[in-house]
Amino acid sequence: MLLTDERPKLGMRYVEALRKQFGRSIQDESWQATDQVTITVDLNSLPVVVETLYYQYGGWLSVVAANDERSLNGEFAIYYVLSVEGNENAPEADKENCYMVIRSTIPPHSLEFPSVTPRVPAAIWYEREVRDMFGLKPIGLPDERRLVLPDDWPEGLFPLRKDTMDYGFRPAPVTEDENYEFIEVEGEGIVEIPLGPLHITSDEPGHFRLYVDGEHIVDADYRLFYVHRGMEKLAESRMNYDQVTFLADRICGICGYAHNVAYANSIERALGIQVPPRAHYIRTILLEVERLHSHLLNLGLACHFVGFDTGFMQLFRVREKAMKMAELLTGTRKTYGMNLIGGVRRDILKEQRTQTLQWLGELRKEVSDLVAILLETPYIVQRTQNIGRLEPKVTRDYSPVGPTMRGSGFNRDIRKIHPYCAYDRIPWNTIYKDGCDVLARTLIRAEEFFESLSITEQCLDTMPEGPILTEGFSYKPYSFALGYVEAPRGEDIHWSMLGDNQKIYRWRCRASSYNNWPSLRYMLRNNTISDAPLIVASIDPCYSCTERVTVVDVRKKDIKIIPYKELERYCIEKKDSPIK
Amino acid sequence: MVLKLLREVLKVGQATVPYPFVPVEVPPGFRGKPEYNPEQCIACASCTIACPPNALTMENDLEYGIRTWKIFYGRCIFCARCEEVCPTGAIRLGYDFELASFSRDDLIVQAEFELAACTECGAFFTSAKELEHVLSLLEQAGLASEDIRVRSAILRKCPECRRKIELARVKPHVHKAFRE
Repeated sequence: MLLTDERPKLGMRYVEALRKQFGRSIQDESWQATDQVTITVDLNSLPVVVETLYYQYGGWLSVVAANDERSLNGEFAIYYVLSVEGNENAPEADKENCYMVIRSTIPPHSLEFPSVTPRVPAAIWYEREVRDMFGLKPIGLPDERRLVLPDDWPEGLFPLRKDTMDYGFRPAPVTEDENYEFIEVEGEGIVEIPLGPLHITSDEPGHFRLYVDGEHIVDADYRLFYVHRGMEKLAESRMNYDQVTFLADRICGICGYAHNVAYANSIERALGIQVPPRAHYIRTILLEVERLHSHLLNLGLACHFVGFDTGFMQLFRVREKAMKMAELLTGTRKTYGMNLIGGVRRDILKEQRTQTLQWLGELRKEVSDLVAILLETPYIVQRTQNIGRLEPKVTRDYSPVGPTMRGSGFNRDIRKIHPYCAYDRIPWNTIYKDGCDVLARTLIRAEEFFESLSITEQCLDTMPEGPILTEGFSYKPYSFALGYVEAPRGEDIHWSMLGDNQKIYRWRCRASSYNNWPSLRYMLRNNTISDAPLIVASIDPCYSCTERVTVVDVRKKDIKIIPYKELERYCIEKKDSPIK
Repeated sequence: MVLKLLREVLKVGQATVPYPFVPVEVPPGFRGKPEYNPEQCIACASCTIACPPNALTMENDLEYGIRTWKIFYGRCIFCARCEEVCPTGAIRLGYDFELASFSRDDLIVQAEFELAACTECGAFFTSAKELEHVLSLLEQAGLASEDIRVRSAILRKCPECRRKIELARVKPHVHKAFRE
């Protein structure tokens, strides 16, 4: 609704190109912001339009949201959100970055729509989830297993539809046995190794099944979503707009504030609210403080998995400073709860600013010493180089985000491509490497840490004066928009549609790890099982984030059950293999 | 590398603090448990509406005319929204965070307030303290005393009675307008 903004609409050229190519299949076009457009297309052209944008115009699939719009226009709707960045072979002047949402309506009697997955593999998890939660049927979907719902959930009960159930409802289980079908891998001497769902080391439930030939991993399948909490349904049911910001904080224990900002941004964009500049700077500072502690945690875990526990302890000791910084600025170490729709709740005072700058300087010195020690250790480099390779072709097909994708040579950081908050007002660099392996991803995080320190210092120095909260706006029901943020793990994107009666109609929050999980399988291939925990840790998975939940199954044939703790020990010590 | 690391480790010394045997310092602005002051509270329920996890609840007993404010710290997320919306500063977040207890009742705090009865029909319709607070705000706003008297009489009636009285007042004017 920023149509009073004088900036030109970004993405107009793509819309015109699509109209030229597809003619009357493009039924409608509406702009939510100068860089967000929603195009309604005819249902049968949906896959080809998405594929064209994806491969020919440099699009990456951000999220797919389904919406029960039967009370609005009698149909279901599905929204494919693509971040369109221009064909990589086109000259720079012809490229524009924008978010294009391809919308299509699905008739409620048939519930069918053509699946996009055969053309764009990145849509696989999204279409499975839409199937589980709404009962919409993607025709041509290659993998029809349940993604989110557990095996003992009744058939025909679709949680996110408006008329099926209350958010607190617990149906009686319909089956005692787990009957999820894991993929089958044939071959001589192939052994399946199940890990999880409760592994002691990983702290979060997820069941992995590795198919190994001797010690080499041939394939992998995994099931997550054991901790699905139904937040989207909860937000629609009993929360008003300001209360959902606190719920969004609790989506994740590490990148909670990123979700908070993404949600607040989506509502603010939908309503065209101008957030004061000082609030933008404060949000940027808190986002970067969150990135500091998250990257230190991942570096610590990487050390732990290769057996360098001293490094793990030292990095966590240093991380305490980042936590204390958060406590000073927001009143608590995590779950900052600092956003309201329209701005932030708390200002940064002079003493806090001085203390934070001092701690930032100390962090810089201590972490650079530790990282230098880490990299001088040939053992660490040897254990992470060329392990867990994610080839650029797989990356382009599956749209992973964050350091996972930047490690394969793609220079994409949402803070630069689609600037938000204060990121376009201060100079900083994106970090990307083309090693494609665990080492590249870990190094990216280390370098991003120093970049974050620099961004925070610059924000604290150049923050403008002024108010921190815009109040006194009115809500327009059924307006919708996207909010996006580069969380430590990658792009976090929220699609919200406002509803009547001070409530949200639909909130689709897609956390960064959700896009990273499907490509994990390709990273695990051709590595030894002792490296499996390390590779999983290198995508920095956030199970809680991903779950709004996923699960992987393994079929029990000739299985050797190995406790995950054993596998982790093997990863660390590299001797006495558990499968001998 | 080992020597450098060893030097780092020795330089740090002991990194842990012996909490709970020493108190832990929290920075100013730390969000601890909400502290309630019933003297200041007017039982207006603003905090109840704003509370995201529904830790704060308000119940009305219309037979005896009692409104019960209750907080259950087990649900509290220490977000300070109640502090932000309270019109009289009756609830503020303190610095206490050590709430663990063996009994759930330790985490519940309740306060009871009187409801005001309508001067016309006698039904309970609002918190007595809230009504007095509103009337004193009108006085502070500097309204003329006749104005205050008139408004006071209206405000002390329940919404049903207010509607009935207003209808009775305009009825003759409406009939007149129709006849003309």
